[in-house]
Amino acid sequence: MSVNRWLATGNYFTSYKEEQRIFFTSLDRSAMGLLLLGLFLWPLFIQLDNKYMLVIDNILVAVVAVMGLNLVTGFAGLISIGHAAFVGVGAYTIASFARVMGENHILLTHAWPLMIVVAGCIGAIFGGIVGLPALRLKHLYLAIATLSFQMIFQWTINFMDFFNQGQTISVSRVTWVTGQVSRSQHYTFWYYAILGVIVLAGFAVRNLLRTRYGRCLVAVRDNDRAADAMGMHPGFTKVYAFALAGFLAGVAGALHAYLYRGVGVESFTLHHSISFLAMAIVGGLGTLHGSFLGPLAIKLLDLQVERLSEWVGNHLTIATNLATALKPLSFGLVIVLFLMFEPRGIANWWRIVRSYVKLWPFKY
Amino acid sequence: MKMNNKIKWMFLLGAVFMVTLPVHALAGKVYKLGLSLAITGPTSDAGNPYSKGVEDYFNFVNDTKMLGDDKIECMIRDDQYNNDITKRNFEDFVSQGIVFYLNYSTGSTLALKKDFEEEKIPVLPASFHAGNLTDSNYIFLPIASYSAQAIGLAEYIVKTHQGGTPKVALFIHPSAFGRGPVEDLQKAVKAGLKMEIVEVVEHGKDLDNSAMLKRLLSKGVQYVISQTVQSPVATMLKDAASLGLTAKTFGEVGKLTFLGCHYTGGNDLVALAGPAAENFYWTTSYIVTNEPSAGATAQLDLAKKYNRDEKAANSHNYANGMMVAQVATEVIKRAKAKGKEINKANLYEELLAMNGDKAFSPGTTVGPVTFSKTDHAGVDSLQLYVVKDGLFRSTGTPFIPVYTDKIK
Repeated sequence: MSVNRWLATGNYFTSYKEEQRIFFTSLDRSAMGLLLLGLFLWPLFIQLDNKYMLVIDNILVAVVAVMGLNLVTGFAGLISIGHAAFVGVGAYTIASFARVMGENHILLTHAWPLMIVVAGCIGAIFGGIVGLPALRLKHLYLAIATLSFQMIFQWTINFMDFFNQGQTISVSRVTWVTGQVSRSQHYTFWYYAILGVIVLAGFAVRNLLRTRYGRCLVAVRDNDRAADAMGMHPGFTKVYAFALAGFLAGVAGALHAYLYRGVGVESFTLHHSISFLAMAIVGGLGTLHGSFLGPLAIKLLDLQVERLSEWVGNHLTIATNLATALKPLSFGLVIVLFLMFEPRGIANWWRIVRSYVKLWPFKY
Repeated sequence: MKMNNKIKWMFLLGAVFMVTLPVHALAGKVYKLGLSLAITGPTSDAGNPYSKGVEDYFNFVNDTKMLGDDKIECMIRDDQYNNDITKRNFEDFVSQGIVFYLNYSTGSTLALKKDFEEEKIPVLPASFHAGNLTDSNYIFLPIASYSAQAIGLAEYIVKTHQGGTPKVALFIHPSAFGRGPVEDLQKAVKAGLKMEIVEVVEHGKDLDNSAMLKRLLSKGVQYVISQTVQSPVATMLKDAASLGLTAKTFGEVGKLTFLGCHYTGGNDLVALAGPAAENFYWTTSYIVTNEPSAGATAQLDLAKKYNRDEKAANSHNYANGMMVAQVATEVIKRAKAKGKEINKANLYEELLAMNGDKAFSPGTTVGPVTFSKTDHAGVDSLQLYVVKDGLFRSTGTPFIPVYTDKIK
């Protein structure tokens, strides 16, 4: 049977290799190419205020972090409610270098890509260590273990003078081939840098899932005893899932530090861990594109609720407490609604749309 | 005849020009300012009346044409006490061309310090943390720092205490805001302030302080200086009252006398602690509305004019917001009077020149606002208040702590 690579209406795989392709159709590849082209080119044509660029950059940083969380919770099925602490480890790696060597040290200003990788590696080490209880613990008990890491992290940062007791530690502007990135270029520069990281991380995760290590994650999630019987090593798999998640979280933390030009503990609290988890759930656990859609949806929702809270706080002074509660209220409601009505997240809507387009004008 | 025609044509052209002249060209200039603060979220009990004070005063400036045809447009945004949101708001304000910025929390002031330096924009925060001024040229504290306030309270203890060296405990917020004065107080003790700091307590979200109070008493502590917000202080005062540990007179032996810096006091504390707030000593540079003064009348009139409720009208945070708006307006007025363009650089210059005979008395404070290249703390004077019959009343006259200079 001849296969139309552009308009395939089904999966006509004739070999295992075909099933392992990154893009199933030429249309997928072209669409991804165009999307990436669009993402890289639009800032050249549309000048956005710094405020909006900061919002976009912030979403992109969350995408990197949620990609990591999706690896450990979505693909490996290990609940982590201390993910913000791993992000914080990455950020505080940069801050620690700034404290020890001075914020204007050449390593931080010129070798910043290396520093981002170093932050990722430190995150991976912490991830591996925190992942050790996963050898013995499951489900809620494991969640509590990750929660305790979150608490230890916050306590350590809050009370150690070296970390400025949680107050902001400044990080300098970086240098690029054109010289020091100025204030006016800052957010656009980091847009490209973070986007580059996302593209690399996205392809890395997609490729990981094509390897035996990636398939091990899913197998251990579905039934670790069966996976063990099949010759996999569930313990090692769980620890490296945490380490990989820690790596991406560390990278996200370093990007956050450079983007905000400072590190303070209030950006890595339990609230942020829950937010990351919500992004992963809303986006779609165990899907790569859920890692993009979740942060986008939750951050945009946050913005709208912020506006509503501000309006209520301004116009209904007696309802200030209600205005304060709006954000956590709407946040919790969205998670509950998704868990009840669309546990597969927004990624499932995307899957439905894709199937519809592929089969159009016929219905499955 | 030809000349007459020319005049006629010129007159006609002039009339057409006047008619078609854009309305905004006649309406004066608009100066943009920004304020990012917690209208909702943590500390919104202080942020909300603060924002009303700022909003009402700028409305008053515009309504009464204090700047002639020119107007002030102050954009007020809620940041929910979140530094990341404050940064976003600040970037928004900057892209809209603000000439003066009003910030709120200690955390965000410290986090944005570098941005303020790069933007070269004068900033008046609601935070009086002395650390805001470290490595900063553009941040100005409206009143004496928390450190100065705590030292002022400590000096009062040393001056009033009878018999030996007074033993003091510090009850502080677990953040830079709370920790700020601790080091300075320790420095003051080293510099000769004769008191002993027995314990520094960083409070959590404790619902009961009985054990802590008993422990302090067992260590011989007689005075507790608080640098935090009202609710933990109210909890502590209520516990002390229920245990019968509150001193009825200042420094009563075997009991605890409670004192606190700016954000520990005010009407909200009395509302939260009720009768347990009696004999609580509080210092700030702001006036209180239950004591007659021109500033109190101005504050109450302003709140009445813009239909604020009693709580907001009498809040020291409303006075606080009003005062920073007064300072911002004053520097604009002064720059205008000198024929200067209203921009960041000129307003910064005017702030630095606000001293000597050019000091500014807003009325809402107990002393004049003075700034210079070396002095970025506005009102240096502090007033000590004590709660009597549910109201904060002045005790003594405004004072300037001595040890703040000694420890520099």
